[in-house]
Amino acid sequence: MSGGASRSVVPGFSPSVLASAPASKTVGHLSGDGLKPETTLRSLLFRHTGPLTEQLKREQGLFGVGQVPSPLKPTAVTNMVCGFCATGCSLKVHLRDGEAVNLSANENYPVNLGMACPKGWEALTPLDAPDRGTTPLLNGKPVCWNTASQTFVQRMKAIIAEHGPESVAVLSTGQIVTEEMAFLGAFAKFGMGIRHLDSNTRQCMATAATAYKQSFGFDAPPFTYADFEESDVLVFIGANPCIAHPIMWQRVMMNKRSPKIVVVDPRRTETAMAATHHYAIQPKSDLTLLYGLANLVIERDAVDREFIARSTNGYDEFVAFVKAFDMERVSRETGISVAQLHEFADLIASKKRVSFWWTMGVNQGHESTRTAQAIINLALMTGNIGKPGTGANSITGQCNAMGSRLFANATSLIGGYDPAKPEHRAKVAGILGMEEALIHPELGLAYDQIMERVADGRIKALWVLATNTSHSWIDSEAANRALEKLEFLCVQDMYPTTDTAKRAHLYLPAAGWGEKEGTFINAERRIGIVKKVKRAPGQALSDFNILRLLANAWGCEDWFAKWSSPESVFELLKQLSAGQPCDITGIEGYEMIESVSGVQWPLPKDEAGMMKGERRLFEDGRFFHADGRAKFLFDEPRAMPEMPSAEYPMVLLTGRGTSAQWHTNTRTEKSAILRKLYPAHCYIELHPEDAAALSVTDQQRVCVSSRRATIQCTAVLTSTVQRGQCFMPMHYEEVNKLTFAAFDSHSRQPSYKACAVRVAAGDPVRCG
Amino acid sequence: MSDRRAALSETTLVDQLLADQQMLTAVEQFSALHERGHVKERYSALLPASPLSTGEQYAFEVNLDACTGCKACVVACHSLNGLDDNESFRDVGLLVGSGYQQTVTTACHHCEDPACANGCPVCAYEKDATTGIVKHLDDQCIGCQYCMLKCPYEVPKWNERLGIVRKCDMCAQRLAVGESPACVQACPTSAIRIVKRRTGVSPVANSSALLPDTFDSSYTLPTTSYVNRRVMPEDARAADRDVVRVQPTHWPLVMMLVLTQLSVGLLVASVWHPSLLISAVVCLHAGLGVSVLHLGRPMGAWRFFLGLRRSWMSREILAFSVLAGLAMASLLFVPVWITAMVGLVAVFTSAMIYIDTRRSWWSAPRTLVSFFGTVVKLGASGAAAMTGDAVCTALALTSGAVLWFVEPHLQRGAMTSLRIVHERLASEAKAKRVCALMAMGYQSLVLMMPSLAFVLGPVAFVCSLAACVGERVIFFKAVDAPKMPGGVTR
Repeated sequence: MSGGASRSVVPGFSPSVLASAPASKTVGHLSGDGLKPETTLRSLLFRHTGPLTEQLKREQGLFGVGQVPSPLKPTAVTNMVCGFCATGCSLKVHLRDGEAVNLSANENYPVNLGMACPKGWEALTPLDAPDRGTTPLLNGKPVCWNTASQTFVQRMKAIIAEHGPESVAVLSTGQIVTEEMAFLGAFAKFGMGIRHLDSNTRQCMATAATAYKQSFGFDAPPFTYADFEESDVLVFIGANPCIAHPIMWQRVMMNKRSPKIVVVDPRRTETAMAATHHYAIQPKSDLTLLYGLANLVIERDAVDREFIARSTNGYDEFVAFVKAFDMERVSRETGISVAQLHEFADLIASKKRVSFWWTMGVNQGHESTRTAQAIINLALMTGNIGKPGTGANSITGQCNAMGSRLFANATSLIGGYDPAKPEHRAKVAGILGMEEALIHPELGLAYDQIMERVADGRIKALWVLATNTSHSWIDSEAANRALEKLEFLCVQDMYPTTDTAKRAHLYLPAAGWGEKEGTFINAERRIGIVKKVKRAPGQALSDFNILRLLANAWGCEDWFAKWSSPESVFELLKQLSAGQPCDITGIEGYEMIESVSGVQWPLPKDEAGMMKGERRLFEDGRFFHADGRAKFLFDEPRAMPEMPSAEYPMVLLTGRGTSAQWHTNTRTEKSAILRKLYPAHCYIELHPEDAAALSVTDQQRVCVSSRRATIQCTAVLTSTVQRGQCFMPMHYEEVNKLTFAAFDSHSRQPSYKACAVRVAAGDPVRCG
Repeated sequence: MSDRRAALSETTLVDQLLADQQMLTAVEQFSALHERGHVKERYSALLPASPLSTGEQYAFEVNLDACTGCKACVVACHSLNGLDDNESFRDVGLLVGSGYQQTVTTACHHCEDPACANGCPVCAYEKDATTGIVKHLDDQCIGCQYCMLKCPYEVPKWNERLGIVRKCDMCAQRLAVGESPACVQACPTSAIRIVKRRTGVSPVANSSALLPDTFDSSYTLPTTSYVNRRVMPEDARAADRDVVRVQPTHWPLVMMLVLTQLSVGLLVASVWHPSLLISAVVCLHAGLGVSVLHLGRPMGAWRFFLGLRRSWMSREILAFSVLAGLAMASLLFVPVWITAMVGLVAVFTSAMIYIDTRRSWWSAPRTLVSFFGTVVKLGASGAAAMTGDAVCTALALTSGAVLWFVEPHLQRGAMTSLRIVHERLASEAKAKRVCALMAMGYQSLVLMMPSLAFVLGPVAFVCSLAACVGERVIFFKAVDAPKMPGGVTR
């Protein structure tokens, strides 16, 4: 970098004009040089400097951070990956005496190129919240860690002894580092002998994982972020990156190829506004639309026959299947005109670089796996995969959902293995130095099945880590009634004040992001580093340290002798990955990840020397099924599980509200500046004509009822929602009281995106 | 025994883990970056390439097509400038229309004719002669908050902790070394940049408004330009246009205005009833005393004369300072009618403070009628209460009745949001009307039965006073506060 040369003073500015003119007068005055009466008078009358001015003084920081507030000028800086979403931005943390005081965005990281969203800018603030947990709490009373760990062990062992290992379950998260997820999965399943462990990644990425696994033979998002910049046609389906992934949208805006940007979304979102084409389909008609488009692409003969023949299975059956999706039917079911359908198909059939991107609008549906696979099918049939600017690309949600998918020991045997296969069990047991018999040949239950068993009393003890089931689980009032039945609920979280932690019998105070070490894997499979730059409050311990403590109290510390630090666990994970599609044996250790700005998997040992900065999968047209071919998978679309009716005539859509809110808002509500960026109270977006029919005006209080519950909120009138539809952001605890518990049969992911509701002008006191 | 050993070893493990948790390792394990403090390319992007010519200034340019509402600019301004917990000099609002939404990032517009600077009594604002940046001098500020009333874009932000306002200075210190402002460097889509702008020559932009539902640009000549290729529909409006925003009451100002106007009324009455002079002087000093409570940093207020050329606030302070001196002197030798005349001028300067903000609720007719109405009504009823003078009682009753009928007419033509605010303030308005009606009732009784004057006169005066305080509370709470488009807020 020849950055030194770019110290060009902006024309018209000289520091003497702006910054130091008054100061120099003061100096002159103080030193007595050329003391003139008018100078004295002027400095008496006009106070250009002083204690208040000093408060906003900025000075040049070292380490390439530009100017910084003087009191927060760093003595060192260090880079680490953000702990909110799966974009995986690198943040440059400003340190004084080794402790974080501020941060800025890292301009040398290939993900974010010096940018961050509001959550990233405020990532340190939630750590300083006054309601952080500082000590374990037993029935709300502070206890020491010994009591806490012994209580945990005694209660869990007693329940297992009385009701069997299936009476205990774990709900984990996509928000902790991979090493902790692996430790948790190994301790819970191999150490404690628990059968059922699932995590909140079931709520966001299970569909993408399942779809990839079935279609490609491994859970393998194929893209790299450079594809945003190298694409000619970007198709966003059920995705609002402007709000949910602003830094990915930055990469779209950096695309120099004048791309066509297509958004498929019932709402006219910020992304739809910024797109070149917006198709406002009816809710949950995406599968029909995608099959119709496939039919049109086939009609145009715009398929890549050579790629299909060489790299796929099931194409002919797929062609026969989509014939039934004629234009009248597709137009009728999606609400998109025939002309628009042809226009859309022309874009996909353009033989240019077409990339498909999806997120929760697809993943959170009642037939979501087939919908994701319908997107994959379009990419496969047009040969838009494995090349720059292409792909069927799932944009991941949480910062470490990808780590969870590979190493949490939940949806696969740790490392992406199949526990049903004896050779896989043997390999994992061998690497971990455990008895093979400890590995159960079946995967455990999914989140919804666990909740079902909690509700019917078969599961009596639940251990919840870094997730907020009470707020986030679909049909939350039913979920909370179920949680009430538990004999033992242990919640491990940064805050004892989350809706779920407040219900806990035992609360364990966890250190947060920035207070511990480990790695995250982002949406483009890039492994990045998290560091310890703040001291955890009170007796809060990292999840890793809590697990060490509990393993010790359980009496299985000998099995985890090798699991002494996050980096030693990373070594184990490397060994587990050997020979897998996610092989990372080429990574030497944390220092290498740091020095090369993150590593995308795979990186086998023999290819480590040839590593490129941005890599995509399937460049050779070989997939991970045994025969190296991808599969065309499809099913007849089904109507949405809860259709609007006379009594509940509107469809409620849910989703992200603003870029300043994260999930159940437990962390983002801790920052005063972020709180300024979103409405404090729950609201519902209504079309002005629907509102007029209901005699509801803008900003009025309304009652929203579903078959599950009735809640109150503020009406916001906007024609970005279609008539007959309404939208509520998921960050408010009320919203999931309304949602209808339906699940995709393949991925078991909840269908948050559509349920039937009724809106009425509300009695300000209570909703009748 | 073995249990105890186990307990001992576990204690050791807990202590070891707790100690491990407190060790910060980022610096030890990972070499801290040691790049030199040069200004990187990223930091100097989006700045003008050539120097300013005469008749040009720096300005923000916002590309609305690129602004997608991530709000990174708001938080980066907060973080990179070391602002207080919820403080930022940038905001992001929203425009909505038929099938349309557009987020709008906004900060100080560094106006050609900055209303904040024009209103400041102590010249705590400087418009830089070279760059055109409107800079706030924090140590010069006395915390009178008049700039917040003057600016039609809600730019100066009150800082409770410091008792002053603070605002965007386009990161002048950064610009001075070729670094972009915080918001510019933080925008992921490069929607904000610094451009050169010719001053005084763009009548089209200056005569209309920056965006729908924003103030007439001819008032301050804002320099920010919003550019877009995407068509904005005819019906585009600020998303928070209909949000009811009741403004602060400003109790010290309410009491100051009522007491000084009562005092001036009594001064006028003193021309005929010299015995009232002492009470006039007492009210005046009480009013001026309470006004100091409004200032965040009153110790700097002696610099008020600096703004005399432009600020009605300065002129008001001067007028009342002269009046305070004259009133004392009137007790000795100055003719009372001179003091009374100065008093009326002082009330006029009070009114001009509000009229000069160009807020529709504080229009000249309404403000003048309200303020001078208070002078007449309170002065007359005060004089009547103390002297039992039937003429004063009649004047109080007449002025009360006239105001009763005139005031509603002056409210007509107020904006929708104002009407909603008034609905919200219905109970205050009702209390005010009841007090005024009671005052008129007692005054009528006094006129019919003069012997009751010394009993009912003071009661009528208290009712009048309450009505005037109510009127002034509504004067502040109900005012329309123009601002840039905001988002959904509640």
